[in-house]
Amino acid sequence: MKEKKIIQYLILIYWTFFGALTVIDKIVPDVYPYWVGVDFYTLFIKLFASLGISDPLFATIALAGITFIEVLAFVCYLFSLFNLFKGKDKTSEQWFYRGVSFSVLLFSIFSIGDQVFGDRFNLLEHGIFWIILVVSWVVYKYNSLIEERVIKFSFSNDIKIGILVGAFLTVIASYSILDFSQSTFTNKTQAVQGQEVVAGVYKFDFPFLGDKFVMENTLKAFEEEHPDLKVNYIYTGPGELNSKKKTHMLLYVFTEQKK
Amino acid sequence: MGNKNLGSNGRIIGKDLIRYFILIYWIVFWLFNVVDKIIGGAHFLFVGKDRFAQIERFFDSLGLGNPIFANVALIITAGLEIFAFVCFSGALYHFLKKNSDTARSWFFMGIVLTLTTFTFFSIGDQIFGDHSELLEHGLFWFITLLSWIIFIRIDKIQIFNTFSIGKKQLFASTVFTIVIASISTFAIFSHNHTSFIERIQVVDAVKITDNKYKITFPFLAGSKAFENSIAKFKADNPALNINYIYTTPTPLKLAESDGLIIYIQTDSIR
Repeated sequence: MKEKKIIQYLILIYWTFFGALTVIDKIVPDVYPYWVGVDFYTLFIKLFASLGISDPLFATIALAGITFIEVLAFVCYLFSLFNLFKGKDKTSEQWFYRGVSFSVLLFSIFSIGDQVFGDRFNLLEHGIFWIILVVSWVVYKYNSLIEERVIKFSFSNDIKIGILVGAFLTVIASYSILDFSQSTFTNKTQAVQGQEVVAGVYKFDFPFLGDKFVMENTLKAFEEEHPDLKVNYIYTGPGELNSKKKTHMLLYVFTEQKK
Repeated sequence: MGNKNLGSNGRIIGKDLIRYFILIYWIVFWLFNVVDKIIGGAHFLFVGKDRFAQIERFFDSLGLGNPIFANVALIITAGLEIFAFVCFSGALYHFLKKNSDTARSWFFMGIVLTLTTFTFFSIGDQIFGDHSELLEHGLFWFITLLSWIIFIRIDKIQIFNTFSIGKKQLFASTVFTIVIASISTFAIFSHNHTSFIERIQVVDAVKITDNKYKITFPFLAGSKAFENSIAKFKADNPALNINYIYTTPTPLKLAESDGLIIYIQTDSIR
């Protein structure tokens, strides 16, 4: 297979999945089993409310309009991929061009919206995706105009060595992942041991897997261990107190002696 | 990029340097990603990211709490990353051996695996609803694509002929570098000498109202500084009981110039 073709497939697969999942995210608006996504409906309602437009009709129409363009873009990418698979390169290129045009239009609309709503992080995100799209199209079209290089791999010695090294490292990594998973999975429910850092104040350093159930179990265990103490305040250590990425969450429990 | 005698003149060395940088970047990138998976968790001299916890929580949010899902996803990811690492290493090996055509084939395989990995991640990010990670992985997908284009097309770019610098400019730039480097080194060490203590140093509370006190922490303050400050507050005010601590949220801070500020609310011990 030609290098150019493989790169085109990879570009189309990326944007087809991107388009498909963006549309699914609108069809499945909330959190369900096997799908979390982003709640765009709530986001749009809040953004429009910040403009003083509290009637949900406006946010709903805007979301439906955006989704329509996303559906158009997705269909174009899908047809482009299908035609590339069928060997109809020219038709595939035309569909991809249509898809990129719709997506560029979409990200331009988003960017205008971001400025109106004052959301600079989303403006950055949409600006970056806008340029990625344009460059994807340039690479898709002009990637190999100059040369048509065919990728050929024979089972030479270096390829065999590469596969062996890769397989060996994968086995080591898999063993390590499974071992780490087995040894830390209990952190998901296990109570965290507290340490008295100031008289009557206990610190709990939560592991990365620790969630609300760990918190509940920790408090239960603490109260069982210290029946003479009354928890009168719980303080979540803010991010500034953490050792950068090493600390997940610090919890301070303030107690007093029961009378 | 054909089978030419690379390094036969200055121009090709300049362009090859960019190719070496691209290859080394991707080798190191994937090497550390793999090391992060093998080590797992934070250790002395390596923190990394607890990928198991991250992926497990992602799957749990979908209703798939069994760790087998996170394990399988992590193993597939590690496999893709390892083979990408091997391909880029193979490309570097052949590039060093001046087998440009073979190097390109290895590099291309590395690029295919890298694009596949980031596509795989991006699909996950949309399902798990993490748009920050989607942006990150989209950017890396883009960087991969551009790396490929630059690697194969750099011969078409006009580049300078020589790395040599004139004597006058060499002398002036060296003196300039030494002076600025000395000033900045002195400033850094001086700041370290005076400020490192702030990491654990007690900060005194300031009374705001009858039962509310403010503590303004310096940027370096860690959990020890917080604990020491609370201990000092309790020692200084034995008749008071802390019943609430309010952490100043970002909107109330002066842009980036304020560190952590807390307000302590108290009542009298009965």
